[in-house]
Amino acid sequence: MRFFKLLLLSLWAVALGARAELPDYQVFPAKGTQLLLWVASERGRAEPEMQAARKLAARGVEVWSLDPLGAFFLPQLSRGMDAVPQQDLADWLRAALASGKRVTVYAVARAAVPVLRAAALLDQAQRKRLGVVLMYPNLYTVAEPLATPDYLDVGALTGLRVRVLQPRRSAATPWLPGLVAHLKSRGARVDYAILENLREGYWARETPTEFEVAEGQRMDGLLLRELKILGRK
Amino acid sequence: MKRLLMSLAMGMFLSSGGHAAGFEARAATPAPALKARDLSGAPKTLADYRGKVVLLNFWASWCPPCLREMPSMERLRVKMAGRPLEIVALASAESAEDTKPFLSKMKLGFPILLDPDGSNTKRWKVFALPTTFVLDARGRVRHVLTGPTEWDEGEALKIIEAMLAEQAVAPK
Repeated sequence: MRFFKLLLLSLWAVALGARAELPDYQVFPAKGTQLLLWVASERGRAEPEMQAARKLAARGVEVWSLDPLGAFFLPQLSRGMDAVPQQDLADWLRAALASGKRVTVYAVARAAVPVLRAAALLDQAQRKRLGVVLMYPNLYTVAEPLATPDYLDVGALTGLRVRVLQPRRSAATPWLPGLVAHLKSRGARVDYAILENLREGYWARETPTEFEVAEGQRMDGLLLRELKILGRK
Repeated sequence: MKRLLMSLAMGMFLSSGGHAAGFEARAATPAPALKARDLSGAPKTLADYRGKVVLLNFWASWCPPCLREMPSMERLRVKMAGRPLEIVALASAESAEDTKPFLSKMKLGFPILLDPDGSNTKRWKVFALPTTFVLDARGRVRHVLTGPTEWDEGEALKIIEAMLAEQAVAPK
């Protein structure tokens, strides 16, 4: 698996050269039946996200955490996500499905792009076994004032179960119906939840509200709820 | 950790509209309809401001860059008193209740409009906050800025002055 070789190489390079304290790929093992593939946003990982991954593992959900931009040495910008090798990510999804656990991918912001493109590369039977939670996904190709928004074609998503989590306090909230319609048009089975009183990236804001801090500490609970909802879809 | 913090800071800055990409000139595009109410509940449209240069700012009370640029918009209002400029700030997808905590702290002399269902935000195709449109006296979009700026100085002030000068020589 070229992807894993690359991950190991990047881990080694980061550890030796970049002085980053967080490697680009981390596993939080657990003996339960669920596996969460956590794909970090273009912002990288924040400590509350790592804490949530640890708490999930303690509650029996295994977490494989990937920072795709770090892993593939891509610029830490939204557009960097568009360059993540899809086939490598699809191999990663297949490896997760082969674990025999119930697999859910959680992707934040623009990380939705490589995750959905990779899901589109799976065969339909594999895709039906996968659940995807997208936190304020950004799928725009064009989002300019006075221009009709346009979304990336991420490929066929037939049978893919998708939950979109959208913080209410976001410029993207009024546009959520269009995004959901786009995903449905690609064949995904989509629904969404609005996260009231929260902003995008609420777990790592520069000036968070008390509520945002509290919700950042309860992210494991949010994700457990989402796993249950996806399990029922 | 330094890399993480830097990327976090950059990401927050970009995603929250913390950057201003610079003013974008438009070729006198007809403006979409504005149908909103002010804080007293009175309906407002662009026709209410016809004959003036209009600075239409889309903002939200939860958006730090939006709040940071508000004082400069108020200074611009004071600086331009008596001249045909109208500053209008439309709270995107927020209720009067949502805006109250901020507006009680910062006294602003320009009108605040409400867009609780986000319909104006969608009609004007606003995807980031703040986004500001500068309209000429005929209600046409002439400049767009995504991100915050200091409205009472630099390029912003030059653009406003140029629009006012153009308005002064335009045939009535």
